[in-house]
Amino acid sequence: MKVEDKNKNINKEQKKTKGNQELKTFSWKRVLAVTIRILNSFKRDPRTLGLLIVVPSIIMIVFGLAFSGEVKDVPIIIDNQDEGFDIGPISLDIGTNITDFLINDTRVDVYLGSYEDNIQQVEEGKYIAAILIPSNFSEGIYRLSMGYNTVIEIIVYIDATEPNVRASVLNSLYDALAEIRGSQGIQINQIIAHGGSEYTGLEVGMSASMAYVLSFLLLLISLVTLIREKISGTESRLYSTPLTATERMLGYVFGLTIIGLLMIFAIMIFGIFVFGIEVRGSILLLFISFILFGMVHIFLSLFLSNYAENEFQAIQFTPIIVIPGMAVSGMLIPIYSLPDWLEPLSFVFPLTYGVNIIKGIMLKGWGFKELWLDFVILTGMIIIFFVLALITVKDRMSD
Amino acid sequence: MDNYIIEVKDLVKVYKTGNIKAVDNLNLQIKRGEIYALIGANGSGKTTTINVLTGALYPTSGKVRILDYAIPKDRKKTANFIGIAPQEYSLYNELTLEENVRFFSLLYGQSKSEFRERLDHLLTILSLHEKRKTVVKNLSGGMKRRVSIACALIHDPVLLFFDEATVGIDPVQRKFFWDYFRSLVKEQEKTIILTSHVMDEAERADRIGLMRKGKLIEEGIPSELKEKYHTSTIEEIFIKLSDVGESE
Ligand SMILES: Nc1ncnc2c1ncn2[C@@H]1O[C@H](COP(=O)(O)OP(=O)(O)OP(=O)(O)O)[C@@H](O)[C@H]1O
Ligand SMILES: [Mg+2]
Repeated sequence: MKVEDKNKNINKEQKKTKGNQELKTFSWKRVLAVTIRILNSFKRDPRTLGLLIVVPSIIMIVFGLAFSGEVKDVPIIIDNQDEGFDIGPISLDIGTNITDFLINDTRVDVYLGSYEDNIQQVEEGKYIAAILIPSNFSEGIYRLSMGYNTVIEIIVYIDATEPNVRASVLNSLYDALAEIRGSQGIQINQIIAHGGSEYTGLEVGMSASMAYVLSFLLLLISLVTLIREKISGTESRLYSTPLTATERMLGYVFGLTIIGLLMIFAIMIFGIFVFGIEVRGSILLLFISFILFGMVHIFLSLFLSNYAENEFQAIQFTPIIVIPGMAVSGMLIPIYSLPDWLEPLSFVFPLTYGVNIIKGIMLKGWGFKELWLDFVILTGMIIIFFVLALITVKDRMSD
Repeated sequence: MDNYIIEVKDLVKVYKTGNIKAVDNLNLQIKRGEIYALIGANGSGKTTTINVLTGALYPTSGKVRILDYAIPKDRKKTANFIGIAPQEYSLYNELTLEENVRFFSLLYGQSKSEFRERLDHLLTILSLHEKRKTVVKNLSGGMKRRVSIACALIHDPVLLFFDEATVGIDPVQRKFFWDYFRSLVKEQEKTIILTSHVMDEAERADRIGLMRKGKLIEEGIPSELKEKYHTSTIEEIFIKLSDVGESE
């Protein structure tokens, strides 16, 4: 079409439209314009739209499942040394009765084994309690029922760092005893693991929250920082400079790690000095653990940012990781209390290891000896995320 | 080995999104010490061509050689010799002018003293001395352009790409630029590839290439082109050839 012809057409068009209309102070049309604009933007970004529908459902499902029961399946060791007691033809074996009762109790997950051998396992967190039923247990109960004045003692070596878990074990034991004969006369002698550490909900919750806060904020901040480079157009300018993708990634890592360090300082100072949570293990190890845990999130966001085209998607990634993580990491309810099929999911989330390490060092006084596997896994995650980030990183404009 | 600093043979670039053939069998040869202006209607493929030449965008097919290196294979080897001011001035808004330029200076491996000297020189040419510590966000549109040009020039590259780099720059500054460009080419044998929609700017180039729908449809020295088409301005040739009536 010739330029002159085009101009003629435009002039015709202009005559049709009514110019100089009086401006209204409020117009629903204008409101509608904004509304349609917003909806159109979403329409162009189906991934965000999908996430908006999928994410809440995933989060609700995970939370629902995680909270569907109270604390249950707590792993305990029972060492039943009860030799039984024969009264004429009847033979009493109350130790076995109690053991059977506990085996059938969903609150605990019973393993049979030696008390002495498994105390260490309780210290290391494999079991929550080791229960020792003495050899004269049946005999003692018989004597009690005959009116003799005797003392029967059940020894429970128990991890008391989490009040709700401890209560769950003790309640199931009380219920078992009540079922047999009532607990009068039977003493439950608790030996508290981790050097007598007993904590309130606040202390347990706060230490886990320290890991959580770092996880959540660092992931969000890293993702937003990385996405900002993409959408501002500065990234594509870098493609034609000598900077390689690997150098760029490492630069991001160091920069974000320094930001992470500031967050770690703030979190540790608040947790330890403001809230006064005692650190039973090494503060230095705690600090190093926070750095390692934080770096997992930096590397994760490096990888995820390659899949996010805009800040919406970046922000949507955060709840997908952070909220189910909260439900399955052992932060709210112990991992062994989760439905069986949900349990494996917890091993995928860095938060699981972060919470275990931070709680372990702060509340149980654990060190590298007990936590090495968690450290290895977090380090492995860093390597995996870094490799994935390097594989998926964009070093040229998309076509 | 010939003395072309840029050699493009049968370059094709198809964007997968929308299946658009943005560059269609382009052939281009540019000598060292030339100012070459790429002109053409919106969407004719100028930016796409430049992005391929700088190695930022991979071609669909065809051969590109820059400074005798194969692009995109050896793009990181040529990176230190080329400077780019992209069409969208891509700067870090939250950083100051100096921090932005310093960032690129570091990428190009400059020492602190080299950077200082070079920045001083560029700020004089770009009239930006007082804005040195200003956050880019708070600069005017034309000033941002000038900062973007400073980033492209900081490492004293031999080959420069200016994609509509002078848009929004006032006439006085624009004259400074052109004088400077000329001196770069004359005294230091730099090569400049630029795109522009300002035709009197294009006329100042040594050679002009006119693109239409991804093809280079005309090329030559401005005065010869005007003679060939019997016109007094390049603008007339542009309108005649580039089919502005229906873009694309
Ligand atoms: N990232 C992209 N994805 C898909 N198509 C693109 C992309 N970038 C550009 N195009 C298309 O390629 C064609 C050439 O665009 P290009 O930006 O190279 O034009 P141009 O000559 O620089 O135009 P202008 O004068 O407006 O800057 C256009 O049709 C455009 O829509
Ligand atoms: Mg362009």
